[in-house]
Amino acid sequence: MIHVYQLAKHYDDVRLGRVVALSGISFDAVPGQIYGLLGPNGAGKTTTLRILSTLLKPTGGAASVNGYDVVDQATEVRREIGFMSASTAVYDRMTGWEMVEYFGRLHGIPDDELRERMEILFDRLKMNDTRDVLGAKMSTGMKQRVSIARAIVHDPPVLIFDEATAGLDVLVSRALLSTVAELRDHGKCILFSTHIMREAEKLCDRIAIVHRGHILAEGTLAELRNRHGEHDLEELFFRLITEHNATCSSPDCTAVPAA
Amino acid sequence: MTLANVKLVLAREVRDQLRDRRTLFMIFVLPLLLYPILGMSFFQMAQFMREKPSRVLVVGVRELDRLPRLFENKQFDPGLFGSAEQWKLLEVTFAATEPRPGRLAPVDTREAAWHAVESGQYDAALFFPPDFAQRLDAFRDTLRERRSSLTDAADTGPVSVVDLAVPSPEIVYSTAVETSQIAYGRLAEALRSWTDRVGADNLAVGGLPATAARPFSLHSADVASETPRRGAARWSKILPMMLVLWAMTGAFYPAVDLCAGEKERGTLETLLCSPALRSEIVVGKLLTIILFSAATAILNLLSIGLTGAIVLSQFEGFGTPPLLAVAWLGVALLPVAALFSALCLALAAFARSTKEGQYYLMPLMLVTMPLCVLPMAPGVELNLGNSLIPITGVVLLLRSALEGQYWQAVQFAPPVIAVTLACCLLAIRWAVDQFNSEGVLFRESERFDVAAWLKRLVRDRQPTPTAAAAVACGVLILLARFFLGAALETPGEFGAFVRSVVVTQVIIIAAPALLLTLLLTSSPGRTLLLRRPATWWTIPAAALLALVLHPTMNVLQRVVVQLYPVSEKVKDALVPVERMFAEAPFWPLVLAIAVLPAVCEELTFRGFMLSGFLRAGAKWRAIAYTAVFFGLAHGVLQQSLIACLVGVVIGYIAVQSGSLLPAVVYHLLNNTFAVAGSRITPETLDQFRVLASMLTGTPDSGYTFHWQIVLAGGLAALLLLGWFARLPHLKSLDEELRDAMRRRLEEEERWKHSAA
Repeated sequence: MIHVYQLAKHYDDVRLGRVVALSGISFDAVPGQIYGLLGPNGAGKTTTLRILSTLLKPTGGAASVNGYDVVDQATEVRREIGFMSASTAVYDRMTGWEMVEYFGRLHGIPDDELRERMEILFDRLKMNDTRDVLGAKMSTGMKQRVSIARAIVHDPPVLIFDEATAGLDVLVSRALLSTVAELRDHGKCILFSTHIMREAEKLCDRIAIVHRGHILAEGTLAELRNRHGEHDLEELFFRLITEHNATCSSPDCTAVPAA
Repeated sequence: MTLANVKLVLAREVRDQLRDRRTLFMIFVLPLLLYPILGMSFFQMAQFMREKPSRVLVVGVRELDRLPRLFENKQFDPGLFGSAEQWKLLEVTFAATEPRPGRLAPVDTREAAWHAVESGQYDAALFFPPDFAQRLDAFRDTLRERRSSLTDAADTGPVSVVDLAVPSPEIVYSTAVETSQIAYGRLAEALRSWTDRVGADNLAVGGLPATAARPFSLHSADVASETPRRGAARWSKILPMMLVLWAMTGAFYPAVDLCAGEKERGTLETLLCSPALRSEIVVGKLLTIILFSAATAILNLLSIGLTGAIVLSQFEGFGTPPLLAVAWLGVALLPVAALFSALCLALAAFARSTKEGQYYLMPLMLVTMPLCVLPMAPGVELNLGNSLIPITGVVLLLRSALEGQYWQAVQFAPPVIAVTLACCLLAIRWAVDQFNSEGVLFRESERFDVAAWLKRLVRDRQPTPTAAAAVACGVLILLARFFLGAALETPGEFGAFVRSVVVTQVIIIAAPALLLTLLLTSSPGRTLLLRRPATWWTIPAAALLALVLHPTMNVLQRVVVQLYPVSEKVKDALVPVERMFAEAPFWPLVLAIAVLPAVCEELTFRGFMLSGFLRAGAKWRAIAYTAVFFGLAHGVLQQSLIACLVGVVIGYIAVQSGSLLPAVVYHLLNNTFAVAGSRITPETLDQFRVLASMLTGTPDSGYTFHWQIVLAGGLAALLLLGWFARLPHLKSLDEELRDAMRRRLEEEERWKHSAA
């Protein structure tokens, strides 16, 4: 499971000065659940997920994945997760099979077991056509499937998808979403960030609406609708963000310049 | 770090590179094609290359017929040249001796010769002064008369020099035109032969044999001509440089592809979220780059060797490089490849994209080339000083080994290896740092707005400057020193010297730091360490440290001068300065050389710059960086090295005491002792018996301390530094935060303990 407590991240920018990308967000995600982070571009979703996958270090607060601290036990955390984002590409000069095999080996899976697991995985994700194709020659759908296989080859208990459907056509993104749902059904704890309302509505068990480094609202879809008296998620989202922008102009709650 | 992951990363990267057409071309195809093609084109070109004859105008040639023959059939006499080919390379035109109809100016004057060359009509002109032939005849007549008078046994007395003077013919040419310079060379050669003939003729007239002027000729014998060492010597100039250049090129392209390329293609993030440690990734990539760098160098050297064996063996003195040379290159290859690979890896990791990465090749080349070319300069040989220069040392060591000077090579191998290894480790460390830096890994292209950036610098001022501001300050000072220093006159008298010291210290060194302090920091006092020291005892301790370290510094100074001797030219230039120092009044000199620099340099280096570097966190690194800038600001290499060491000591004092005061005191006394040391005369020693008992040497060779004094001083210095080490040193914000967290944890532990 994922435990995030008062997580903060700021960095210095030449033009904007000190930028607060995350200002103390907290949430928990449990196994068998898809936890959605819904927010516009620049809300802090990618920063949160990069901290959870140990690519970035937080400047405040704490986070743990399956009991391992993301700062002090980064290597253990990386063994527990499968991370996939729009910016985790596939190698151009490697075939689908070689790429998945490479990451399997980096996870220390013994050769026999790895081969067996990969055969099953390639069948399940219907990606036998990518076996001998070099990354550079793959279609977007093929690349996406290889990325998923790469992220789950070591059977991690926690999966993190960062805007994984960005730039995909309807067919490919639909296939991806169904794979994510399947993984949830297999008992995985899944963190899924998106800015597309439909995906959040269809897929996520719990949703956190993130804006300018803050969580504006959190709960199941039903809870959110009841609490805010708004059935349509898009309307709800838009209202929360507008309200936040209007009420909050102090430097502390804007994601942008802070002294 | 596990070996299995390093091997995995290495295997993947190697396979990846072998599948890249560009890499394959650069590493395998280019070297195999380049040299044979170059060799072939050389052959082809040589077939078509003809030397162009030089056009020469001869002016003022009259009545030379009584002299040995210079011209024949309106050309030079072929007998003056070694071969018919050489003779054909001079085409002679004679200037008309009478003015042509319609032209007023006489044509056989020196002006005519000058004009002919200047206008480009002729490559060179040979001008005979009007009375050349007559004067030469007169000279011969004098000789003849003298001979006859000698045979008559009557002493006519010595012949005066004036009587013998003959005006010189003149070659008019232009150094601005290459063909003219060539014409000059050919013409001079022909005239030299002719002059010899004239000389021999004169001797005959004087009744002496031709061998009187040249009783014997010189023969030479080359001990290397029959041994392979001759070929090795030629190759020893080319191969080491080729090795270094190709090791660098071979490392650069894979490094850019493996780091910047991966960043650009988005696969670096994929790799970073795998369980592989950053160090495993870096080492895996580094080994790949070393492999390709070495392969490129080997293939290029092989190709050069083979082509050389075929093409260059046609020329005398060249041949197949000796096998032993190849073995030596093999030994040197690994450290050289490792050094460049680590450097390229760090540079490539910093780059956002392949394109940006490729921009870094040029600066890398610009730094490497002089180090490669330096050993080619005449007179540069392998010695301890040169062996300590990175890359230059390796090239020189290789050259020595290739030339068969094994003893010299073995002698200087340890320092070369140590320096190369140290550079290698630093570069690897830098590369790992790059991979651990979020700012570098996730750097995004941002529009750079100078105005916004400057505004932000002032707006977001922190109590102390950033490390970048410290570097900027250092660079500013170095630039100002370079440009203003060149404009400052070399002081000839004491007044001018004091003026130049004041300008250097106040305007060049202190002003930039003070200005930046006011502009970029919110707490000038904290930045410049203008506060109470940890304890007032640090001030006498610093003074004592300067005193007890003085003998050691003195010895180090001598060692440095021995390693890097001051050139005769500089020594000569320093003589008047030293004389001025010796004659200058003592206390004003101390004021100029010790007090002023102690205040200005400390404010800048241990004040502004040290505070800046301390912001980055590590204490020792901050001290080292400050010391390097302090050393560089001293300009002269020998002085810089010592200043760098002194900078480490003062930096340590400043950090441990938390104040600039002890640093100023140390600096002041360190310089004062140096001034006083240069003033010691036999009279002072007579006056101060204690001093005399500590010193050895003569006024000419300079005084040094007895080794017992140096040792005792060194030990005392260690004790004092140990005392400084126990003080609570200056902390960066990060260190303060870490301390606070540790204290908090300890408190919690105590609380839990007492609760239990």
